[in-house]
Amino acid sequence: MAVQEIFNAVLAFERDRTADLVKEELQKQTDLQLILNEGLIRAMDEVGRRFSTGEFFLPEMLLAAKTMKAGLEVLRPHLSSNMGELMGTVVIATVKGDLHDIGKNLVAMMLEGAGFKVINLGVDVDADGFVRAAEEHKADLICMSALLTTTMPAMAAAVKAVQAYDRRVQTMVGGAPVTKVFADQIGATAYSADAPDAVVMARKLMTDRVHKQ
Amino acid sequence: MNWAEFLTAEEMKLVHEASLAILEETGILVRNEKARRIFARAGCRVESESGVVKIPGNVAEEYRKAFPPSFTFRGRDPRYDRTIPQDGPIMITASSAPDIIDPETGRQRRATSGDIAGIAHLVNELPGYDVFSISTLAADAPEGLSSLTRFYAALRNCAKPVRSNTPNMKELEEVLALGAIIAGSEEAYRKRPLINHHYCPVVSPLTMDVESTEAVIYLTEKGLPVYGTICPNAGMSSPLGLIATLAQGNAEFLALAVLMQMVRIGTPLIYAVLATVADMRTGNYAPGAIETAMLQMGHSQMARYYNVPSGGYIGLTNAHTNDAQSGYETGMGTTAALLGGIDMLNMGGLLGSLMVFDFAKVMIDHEIAMMLKQLRKGIRYRQEDLCMGLIDTVGPGGTFMDQIHTLEKMRTTAYLPKVATRDIRDRWEKEGRTEIGFRALKEARLILTRDNPALFEAELDRKILARFTGLEGVAVSGIPV
Repeated sequence: MAVQEIFNAVLAFERDRTADLVKEELQKQTDLQLILNEGLIRAMDEVGRRFSTGEFFLPEMLLAAKTMKAGLEVLRPHLSSNMGELMGTVVIATVKGDLHDIGKNLVAMMLEGAGFKVINLGVDVDADGFVRAAEEHKADLICMSALLTTTMPAMAAAVKAVQAYDRRVQTMVGGAPVTKVFADQIGATAYSADAPDAVVMARKLMTDRVHKQ
Repeated sequence: MNWAEFLTAEEMKLVHEASLAILEETGILVRNEKARRIFARAGCRVESESGVVKIPGNVAEEYRKAFPPSFTFRGRDPRYDRTIPQDGPIMITASSAPDIIDPETGRQRRATSGDIAGIAHLVNELPGYDVFSISTLAADAPEGLSSLTRFYAALRNCAKPVRSNTPNMKELEEVLALGAIIAGSEEAYRKRPLINHHYCPVVSPLTMDVESTEAVIYLTEKGLPVYGTICPNAGMSSPLGLIATLAQGNAEFLALAVLMQMVRIGTPLIYAVLATVADMRTGNYAPGAIETAMLQMGHSQMARYYNVPSGGYIGLTNAHTNDAQSGYETGMGTTAALLGGIDMLNMGGLLGSLMVFDFAKVMIDHEIAMMLKQLRKGIRYRQEDLCMGLIDTVGPGGTFMDQIHTLEKMRTTAYLPKVATRDIRDRWEKEGRTEIGFRALKEARLILTRDNPALFEAELDRKILARFTGLEGVAVSGIPV
């Protein structure tokens, strides 16, 4: 079955083939939900499973995420707004004064692999930067990262600013010196300990939010 | 003693040349504008749009000639000054952890200035530690006074050299002002700077930041002691290979070292690293891995190639408790680095890589430090030490136990640990089957019950508190015993 081939292509990290197969299915007018859920998301769930058992290493996880993203980008313009909402738009960046971005980029890539639309603002982003991006991209979730303990106040300021802009926009924080206690103290919606955790939390936040509406 | 070395002389030269090529062809992204101007003035190519600086080989080689061969740490008490490599290997506590294991509850919590005061007192009393790098942050520091709080708590309780970083120029200047009050005057401080500075201005791969670079330039201009640590993380911020990470890290060291010489020729340096290999199963940071030690050894070799002291964060553990993992990770990593000829070991007190300070761990690491220093002393050959006469006198089947020679040497030949057990099992059972963490904490408490000889005179405290309002509330009494 063709959608199964998409699944296989993602697991084989075949980026171009995945995009082509999705195009083919679109032309054949295959159900969008089927392509998305059975082809792409199920593939990433399998990748996630293999990653958590230690069968897949991180680079494979990232490669799969890139492959999935290639397929999703072909599909995205055709997704109804309902489906788009569930996928969610995430803005992510390292906070002001901090140039460390590897962990943050990991989270960004894995969120993309989970189907989110991710806008990666890079490093050294101040509170204003987060708010403007939230506005411009109609973001559902703002993710903030810091490696330096000295930049944690900037994280607190950014969370505050985002909430002042729109209480419905959710915030998630992470990074080596960040803890759940700190996240709660600064009023962030969520905290994630690592990249896989970030994906789980992001999905949960999106589902909860949809159900609330 | 011959160092354990991986690279041949020819290979060191090749690594050096590879680093030069990286600097000349790929370049360094220098985010600090002042630094870019300094590089440009010295003959480097600066790409104005990207901020990438390309350092020509001949420029790097020219400034390399100025690298001084030694670095000195100074403290309040000159008896504790240490110069490397001569006084090496020196031990510096590992630093800036946000959290601490509460010695009462055993739970992890944010560290405070009171913790720093207690740790400083302890380090002052432990001969294995030469320099106190401020072990933790201070969550109780008043707004804008985080560095002053930390340095005040540290300096007040420790007469050995103190070293740490600051997040911005305002806090750095305040710390220097504090130093001047302690020294007696700004001039006295300039003559004998008793605070030592450290930063990580280089963010791998091949980037220099704004704030830390600013601080390094400022301190170098003033002739104040400062050094940086290079931290490539293979698989993430450097290639996933040891020789490649060595070449990149070496390039990053050269960029920083050469910048410092451009600011002020003859600025003392330490070639310090914390080069690691990421655990590619998950991406987790893994400083406890043996590869950290291997990379340290490689960088120490390159430091010798440049005739500068070598050092780094070595002996970190990924373990969260004082178990076998923390024992073998700290023990193996530091031993390998020591045999590789390292001059300065940034180790002592941290669990969970760089995240948590633990009083028991700092005591255990102290014993490891003493063992390492003993190891470096080696076996010295002196004819009189052969004890030929004594061997003959005691003769076949005799005993050395009650000889005068034995009496004379009994406290000095071997290192006598306080925390490690040598008891037979029966006794250990009777005394409660104690684990090392328990015994270590007990030993720490013992030390902390005694008065701290390093404490400031009341008059000095008054001067400092008068100058810096807001510090009065800072807890400086140390941990409860």
